[in-house]
Amino acid sequence: MSLNQLIENCRINDTKAQGELYKLFSSKLFSVCLKYSRNYAEAEDNLQDAFLTIFDKIEQYKSKGSFEGWLKRITINTVLQRYRNEKVFDIINENVADEVEIEIDEDHIPLEYLLKIIQELPDRYRLVFNLYVLDGYSHKEIADMLNINIGTSKSNLARARQTLKDTIENYKTRQSLQSL
Amino acid sequence: MSDKKHIDRLFQERFKDFEATPSDAVWENIEAELNKKKKKRRVIPIWWRYAGVAALLMLLLTINGLFNGNDSEDLPTNQVVETEDVNLEKSNTTEDNNSTINIEKEDKIIDIEDDAVAESNAEKESAEKASETKIDNTQKDITPSNETSVAENSNSKLKNEGTQKSQMPSNKKSNISEAIVKTENTTVVAQNSKEKNKETIQNKNESPQIDINKANEIINNSTKNNTAIAEVKPNDISTDAITKTEAIADNSTKENTLTIEEALEKNKDIIEEEKDENINRWSIAPNAAPVYFSSLGEGSSIDPQFNNNSKSGELNMSYGIKASYAVNNKLSIRTGINKVNLGYNTNNVVVFQSISSSSNLLQNVNTNSNTAADAVSIISGNSLNSSKSPEAFTKSSNTSINQDMGYIEVPLEIQYALTNKKLGVNLIGGFSSFFLNKNEIFSEVAGSRTLLGEANNINKVSYSANLGVGLNYKVSKKIDLNFEPMFKYQINTFNNTSGNFKPYFIGVYTGFAIKF
Repeated sequence: MSLNQLIENCRINDTKAQGELYKLFSSKLFSVCLKYSRNYAEAEDNLQDAFLTIFDKIEQYKSKGSFEGWLKRITINTVLQRYRNEKVFDIINENVADEVEIEIDEDHIPLEYLLKIIQELPDRYRLVFNLYVLDGYSHKEIADMLNINIGTSKSNLARARQTLKDTIENYKTRQSLQSL
Repeated sequence: MSDKKHIDRLFQERFKDFEATPSDAVWENIEAELNKKKKKRRVIPIWWRYAGVAALLMLLLTINGLFNGNDSEDLPTNQVVETEDVNLEKSNTTEDNNSTINIEKEDKIIDIEDDAVAESNAEKESAEKASETKIDNTQKDITPSNETSVAENSNSKLKNEGTQKSQMPSNKKSNISEAIVKTENTTVVAQNSKEKNKETIQNKNESPQIDINKANEIINNSTKNNTAIAEVKPNDISTDAITKTEAIADNSTKENTLTIEEALEKNKDIIEEEKDENINRWSIAPNAAPVYFSSLGEGSSIDPQFNNNSKSGELNMSYGIKASYAVNNKLSIRTGINKVNLGYNTNNVVVFQSISSSSNLLQNVNTNSNTAADAVSIISGNSLNSSKSPEAFTKSSNTSINQDMGYIEVPLEIQYALTNKKLGVNLIGGFSSFFLNKNEIFSEVAGSRTLLGEANNINKVSYSANLGVGLNYKVSKKIDLNFEPMFKYQINTFNNTSGNFKPYFIGVYTGFAIKF
């Protein structure tokens, strides 16, 4: 069955087609959820919500643009919806225009670890970092999506990078200490 | 193997092909939700139900209004049919059954009551017509079948009216009784709405006496809003009719639910979408507007002779309050209540004193007998040359007839946002129901106004189709300033206009909305 046919069948709420669609895209979208969520359990919740929205809105999908892109956007929106309104303590100066290059040694760091430290970032940092670095949204777009200023988005990103870098460096130190 | 690298690149590279399989439980949950949703889809959100109820009410009022409108048209044809026999029959029954009331009340009141009975019968008659029961009005047969007795009642009422009220224009009274019947009908329908008595159709063989008795009872009771109405025996003709109205109402409810469901299906996405947004859904907006009333075609609501006279609309005020609910950030539904005054002038008329005032009465005006107006005749200046010369003739120039109407307006409108920026542009469409609360006609001579009376052809309830553009300026998150030019095309405002009189009004509504 072609993808278009599958989409057609999903539009008429064909449970079998919905299952197929889920099989095709769940791992891709689950990775998005994992990156944007706080932990594995919440990622699963978000994936579930995302798919429900997808099946609900699938008739709105106009066959232009990539279907996968559309799915991903819905997934991201679902996650944003959950975290966007949670309060973040913005005790930091939001005007830190911090475009300093943050460099790091490329050693082999397990992917699970990288994922874990992303998940452990404060909500807003995590969202901004994901949107900007991993999914290529601009600060302007992020600001609109999260209802924040562009400046806030930039400073959140800088904070996220800094935090990640510190964590990784700590990790490395610990690793090298262990290997000694 | 330890080059320095920008942290972004590190993450980008590592996550490029990252995929992860969720546990099977996720799909199981999704499947369960999907199945639940298929059922849930049928559940109508509460506010849709309210909208349904509102629409149903509107529909009932419309049906009522249409029937009243039919009445006035039916009367002349019925008049031909009246017979002496029926009249006798009628007066007998009146005496028999209303004896207690006779003692208590004056003739006139009974007169009104009879009117009301007959009117209500006539109304039910139309109700029956609507349910496609053929009624023969001309049937004089006293064999008491349901239909004939109804027809007889309205006939005899006409006779009564004719004899007892000879010269006085009876419109005022029948207006009142019409109003009574209207409220009665609504109450009855409302009270019966939960009942499903289908046996009622069986017993049509009831004598007219009992019918009248029951009908009177209903009228008496309905003013007290008594529940006795609900208890009227099933073999009663009026209950029968009511059941039919009910059936109509039921049907329309069904239709409503259908449309609502359809609409729901269509709007499902929109409704879902709304959950995504964290917007202020409700807003309350006090507003005021200058309104200008005019007519699209040539014609007159007052008298055919004024069809070609120039008319000028009056500038009046409308004020009220609107409540709106945002379905999503594009679409909102709003309703409210507004007081609105409308008026217009018919220019170039001639007012003169005349002894035989009745000869020149205006077609659609009930003159106010308390004023000097009944000694005044009015004709169009255009027809002055051909008109018969009046007894005492005082031509006054610059005379106009001024018709004033006051309404309580209840709009139900949909607002669609074209842009949603700081300055928003909206398209607004919908309809309004108008409830008449002021109805006056003046003659205006060089600035001084004399009350002539009231128009007898204005419907108590009328409607308008509304169209407009709304501009709103967001002062803050909570407050919008609104500016809405609206065009309202009026439907069945008058039930007997001459010429091509199509009233409308334009209002420029300004106000502010408080969102919460």
